[in-house]
Amino acid sequence: MRARARSRRTIGLRGDEALTLDLFAPLETTAAVTVRTLAPPESRQSPRPLPLWLAVSFPMLPVVALSDPDSVQAVIEGPPGQQRLVALSAAAESLGLRRDLSRTAAEIRVPTLTWCERRPELEARALEARARAAFALTSFVSLEPPDTLLLEIRGSLRLFGGLEALIERALAALGTARIPATYAVAPTVRAALWLVRGQPGVRVESLAALPGVLARLPLSVTDFDATVRSTCERLGLSTIGELVRLPRAGIARRLSPAVPRWLDEAFGREAQPRRRHVLAVRFTEALALPAESTSTVALWPWCTRLLQAQERFLVQRDAAITQCRLRLHHRSGQPPTMLTLERSLPSARAQEWLALLEERLGRLDLCAPVVAVALRSGAVSPAVPLEEGLDLSGRDGRAASARLLDRLRARLGEEAVQGMCLIPAHCPESAFRRVRPTWPSAAAVSDALPCTPRPLWLLSAPQALLLRGTRPWYGGPLQVLSGPERIESGWWSGQGIARDYYIACAPTGARLWIYRERVATPQAGWFLHGVFA
Amino acid sequence: MKGPLEAILQDAGVWRGIDPSTTHAGLCCPSGWPRLDAALAGGGWPLGTLIELLLPTHGLGELRLLLPALCQLVVIAPGSDPRWLVWVSPPHEPYPPALAQSGLNPGGLLRIEAPLPADRLWAVEQVLRSGSAAAVLCWIDAVDDRWLRRLKLAAQGQSVLLIAFRPSARRGTTSPASLRIELMPTTEGLDLDVLKARGRAPTRVAHVFGT
Repeated sequence: MRARARSRRTIGLRGDEALTLDLFAPLETTAAVTVRTLAPPESRQSPRPLPLWLAVSFPMLPVVALSDPDSVQAVIEGPPGQQRLVALSAAAESLGLRRDLSRTAAEIRVPTLTWCERRPELEARALEARARAAFALTSFVSLEPPDTLLLEIRGSLRLFGGLEALIERALAALGTARIPATYAVAPTVRAALWLVRGQPGVRVESLAALPGVLARLPLSVTDFDATVRSTCERLGLSTIGELVRLPRAGIARRLSPAVPRWLDEAFGREAQPRRRHVLAVRFTEALALPAESTSTVALWPWCTRLLQAQERFLVQRDAAITQCRLRLHHRSGQPPTMLTLERSLPSARAQEWLALLEERLGRLDLCAPVVAVALRSGAVSPAVPLEEGLDLSGRDGRAASARLLDRLRARLGEEAVQGMCLIPAHCPESAFRRVRPTWPSAAAVSDALPCTPRPLWLLSAPQALLLRGTRPWYGGPLQVLSGPERIESGWWSGQGIARDYYIACAPTGARLWIYRERVATPQAGWFLHGVFA
Repeated sequence: MKGPLEAILQDAGVWRGIDPSTTHAGLCCPSGWPRLDAALAGGGWPLGTLIELLLPTHGLGELRLLLPALCQLVVIAPGSDPRWLVWVSPPHEPYPPALAQSGLNPGGLLRIEAPLPADRLWAVEQVLRSGSAAAVLCWIDAVDDRWLRRLKLAAQGQSVLLIAFRPSARRGTTSPASLRIELMPTTEGLDLDVLKARGRAPTRVAHVFGT
């Protein structure tokens, strides 16, 4: 009985049940191996969270996107003779004007009306700027031109403390204090878009509540084209609820095959993929100075502004850079002055970049007055989350060292800051190399070190010694202490050396490393090559 | 009688040569030369302050004098970050094979070239402020007293060996350095003239090492 039960259990691996296999053990023993079976993917995977879309619409965007929105009361669009108002300023609305009014009718009502043609490119830029700000709240932002943004907020609800707080924050981030905006929340994109037009301010969090809310919406808020809408009108349909009640096949045949699909998308019965808005990869911005500047001090606030804008740009992307280039434009004809700032560790912080810029600007001689400043960031890399480290002394060694090197390089130049490494070579001047320092490395000392003493100072170029008789002279006769050590190397490369090295004592007490050139050339003779300091 | 003396000693401008309160204050690093250690208050080079070495010329054994201490300082304590051994504007190329022979790892050397004296002092200050150096060797000549004081302040509180090499001609000038030593080469080796030392009377150390 027991054995049968056990065999059934071992065979019946099902679902995500955990079962006990007592391999090789008598039935009475309690020692057991727990095996968790691999569950089928659909039962194991947590259900994909339902998205929640916040649609924010800016009906006045055509007005506020203009370069001088205050002087314009209305924006018009359409072919000559059929121009209609598409957006109105608050002042114009208080005069009794409405959207969709023809321009002629509007001018009859308000003869002093100031209007402007619609500028779609400015609107697109203004919407894009708002989309950038929206990335502070969610990683999925989608544009619905001409005037609506869609934010997927399900994933951000907990972080920002619930729907109410999130909406409040989103509206503040999108600048709705200055520009009137409407919003709606719904679990599907199409429902959110319809609701923001037909019932602004509504919040529908679940799919179950959606049909009731959508049913009351007039068909004018939908994206159906004019023929579909006029057919609906002729059929006596005015709300979405009335349309949904009709047979599906009939709708598809009589209106358009697209209509049932759109309704499915609105009610969440069918997925509706959205294109995610992708932010620009590099920061590029230019500022024209209000007046020509001849001093670098006057450039400081403008550079600060650019670097702070760059910081915001990078923070929105959770990114950092190791290089950026500042371009100082002069009046036409003069090539711009370029300043390249570099850091060893990526950083987004304006403060860090300003510290480097301070060194560069302070030593810069302007060849001509500056009229504009432009900043372009280098390649973007993911931000290093804890640059400061958790060290409570506030001093993370690696970051401090990198900051020091960056600062030194910025002021003294790339070549002025150098590290060293050993090269296993016999030729004394080839036995080391200067390298770009990054971090004090604890590399093992090469075992190819010379076994005879080497001087601590090496002269950058061997210095020819005077001869008095046959003896080398350096402030006095040199007294040889030890040697010779013969070094012959590099004959295969054409830059061979053949030298006899001696350690000699100068009358000053200094111990010198000198050699005699063995190659019979005009340079033959005695040379000073190092000092045993 | 005690009152006026106390008042004078309170004055920041008064420096007490033998001050029992400072005798054991601060970190020290044994120099590796017993005769020199005996002449220094903490039994070695004081850390976190300015040390001035005065030389008539380069190559008298000034690096050899420092090498034992440098080797100790660059050893990385477990759990701490490695630190640089910084050379600011040395008169010649520090030769890595020779330094490696003495036990210094060439990967930890940082050489900074600054032709202008102002840049040189700025670089030293930056290095000290970053806290990422175990030792700073700098070669400076004519310099404002205030700058030396700044460097001394920047080094304060850190376990950093800060050495300024200056020509012997500067022997007569005032200096805020805690330790001033003039190097005197002799035919047998090196003598040291300790001009100023914290907690000790000036003295002369004969024959620190032979040639």
